[in-house]
Amino acid sequence: MGLIGYDVNKYSPRQMVTIPMIILLLALVSMGYSMATTGMPVNPGMDFSGGTAVTLFTTDSAQEIRDVFSGYPLLNIGEGVNNGKYLRFGPMDDAALQSLATYVGEKYPEAKIDQIGATFGQTLQQQAFIALLFSFIGMTIVVFLAFRTLIPAGAVVLSAFADIAMTAAVMNLIGMDLSLPTTAALLMLIGYSVDSDILLTMRVLKRQGKLDEKLAGAFRTGIIMTTTTLAAVVAMWVVAFAGQITVIWEIATVLIIGLLIDMMNTWLTNAGIIKWYVLNRGGK
Amino acid sequence: MNKNKLVSILKHWQVTLVIILVIGSLVAIYPRFEDGKFTTNIQYGLDLQDGTWLQMEFKAEVVGFQTDRPYEEFIGDLRDKLDADVYLIDDNRLEIRKFFTREELESVFSDAGGTLTSYEQGVSRATAEEVKQILENKINTLGTKDAKVNPLTGLSGVTHYIRVELAGVSLAQAKDIVGKQGKFEIRIHTTDNQTEHVLYGDSITSVGVPSRQPGSQVWGVSFSLNEEGAAKFREAAIQYGAVNDPQRHNLDMILDGNIVYSAALSDDLAAELAVEPIRQLYASTGTGDQGLTAAKNLEVHLRAGALPVDVTVAGTGYVPAALSDYFKMMCLLAFVLATIAVGITVYYRYREPSIVLPMIGTNLSEIIILLGIATFIQQLDLAAIAGLIAVLGTGIDQLVVITDEVLHEGKVPSPSLYKKRLTRALSIIAVSAATVIFAMLPLALMDLSNLRGFAIITILGVLIGVTITRPAYGQIIMEILSK
Repeated sequence: MGLIGYDVNKYSPRQMVTIPMIILLLALVSMGYSMATTGMPVNPGMDFSGGTAVTLFTTDSAQEIRDVFSGYPLLNIGEGVNNGKYLRFGPMDDAALQSLATYVGEKYPEAKIDQIGATFGQTLQQQAFIALLFSFIGMTIVVFLAFRTLIPAGAVVLSAFADIAMTAAVMNLIGMDLSLPTTAALLMLIGYSVDSDILLTMRVLKRQGKLDEKLAGAFRTGIIMTTTTLAAVVAMWVVAFAGQITVIWEIATVLIIGLLIDMMNTWLTNAGIIKWYVLNRGGK
Repeated sequence: MNKNKLVSILKHWQVTLVIILVIGSLVAIYPRFEDGKFTTNIQYGLDLQDGTWLQMEFKAEVVGFQTDRPYEEFIGDLRDKLDADVYLIDDNRLEIRKFFTREELESVFSDAGGTLTSYEQGVSRATAEEVKQILENKINTLGTKDAKVNPLTGLSGVTHYIRVELAGVSLAQAKDIVGKQGKFEIRIHTTDNQTEHVLYGDSITSVGVPSRQPGSQVWGVSFSLNEEGAAKFREAAIQYGAVNDPQRHNLDMILDGNIVYSAALSDDLAAELAVEPIRQLYASTGTGDQGLTAAKNLEVHLRAGALPVDVTVAGTGYVPAALSDYFKMMCLLAFVLATIAVGITVYYRYREPSIVLPMIGTNLSEIIILLGIATFIQQLDLAAIAGLIAVLGTGIDQLVVITDEVLHEGKVPSPSLYKKRLTRALSIIAVSAATVIFAMLPLALMDLSNLRGFAIITILGVLIGVTITRPAYGQIIMEILSK
């Protein structure tokens, strides 16, 4: 069971930590680049930049829909399975929005409409940022209180940070926007990420026995934890993709990326650092 | 599993507690068929229920200030310079009921001999409550079934947004309802209970908050008329003889056909009106709490459904009934499939139904208890469903931690060693639970965020797991595996 062929005891701490640190550096550089060019480390979606979106199920072609909404600033049409269509509109004033809402109601009574004003989006964006920041600080405080030693606690915090930074970078790479659901997913990742990290640290520091055995045992348990979560998330992803539930689909996608990255960060970054710590301190 | 084992499992109080809570939760959720449709007591948010939400932003601001001048004078000055309603809301903060940028206000404040010390867009809590009341009145008169109006107040006590949720109403309809104004009219008594039209609500330019005239115990509301309105008011008062004999010519205020206020001109006012048109009027309502309440109502009526502060729509959303039902179905399907996937993965590792079944059972009881509690405190929207998924995920993670911790190489140790190991497992769980709770706390406390439901469900789920269901699982697994 688990990642076939990976032996957590085979490599030296330096070897273990090198790869994830290079990736983390690349992730930070890529976010820094997008920060420099667009002013945001991650692409803000409609929730944060404002706009109007209409979700509907119709057999009409994209061109037909374009004709129907020719009087409105239709930006693009996303198509999914089951004839689901996702229409995005540019900025409109209140009156235009009211007329669009009435019009959509007549043409496609089964359509879902969402509209976020630009300033409201900005407020939401600030809040999401504050929430991420405070969550991270809260997590850091608890971890430091629990372990009370700098290096093991720092390792847990570092790998949680690396999880979020790398996941955000991958989101950029595949063109996923930061929205309210993906922010929620990133926050969930903090929780999932520390789960296996804490298990690893507790097992290695608070249990008696040989380091090799403790690491291998923690690895066995940790991998089941992550794979069961992954199994649940993949199942959700499939349903949400087939059924066009954008919110759940976005959350599931980010979690899948994040959980895969978390495996690397737990069993290379965190395990590497804790191994180095125990070997150098002659830890009990 | 034999009967004795089942009995010994049930003897553990942790297990009994879980069973009681699950039953209680099922009662609270109350799944049933009504009119051939499956329903429960679970409240759904608007993305899982037919309806519209509107989030509106107040075009006003609350600012801190300092001045050496007497407050009355300073505020009066600001009122004139800004041509806006300015109210003192506490010792050092003002509410300005018109939108200005911080820079604009800073220069006006310094011109008036003061300084601006803080600036926040929004209104005071009291004003927000008043807006809430006006909106609720409007919605109620239209007989809408299920409506919620929530001012979203930040930690500083300033309300920036107000959110209206209307179940079963389309977006266009909802905007109509919120924007709709009542028809307000003032009529004057002529002779024998006959009345004549004086003016309509469009002649009223501003309405004050309930106040007492200097040196008086009587509550009332001041309001001002435009020039044309003031002229009409004077004309009618003279024409029908109210100037000479106020007591026999009451003035009625009528909103949507109902008389909401009726009083005679005061002698002073009657005398003044004989000379010139008066734009600033004051309607008194009586003394004490009763007078204050009446004044508050009158203020709302004078505004005729118009809000005291301008608002703009910051965000809206509409989910049609068919789509929301579909979303619910899909969420349920996703949930069932996720549970099955978890079951298969865990089975693949342990190959032992007597471990896998209690695991899944514990996890499901956790979700049921969570839903049971949620029926009282939290409506389920898509974000809250994401929270449920988070709970499912961390829940199963931690059951794996317990299982692996107590089972060493597939064997169950002696009861005393078992206790020690279970305690160790629970301490790992407690630490990771604490991190999740602290990570979610800011989201749960931030009133504005749509992610609040997500955070509340996650925190609640983790708490239930750590304190109730996971310790019970520890007992179950011990009884099952001990030979």
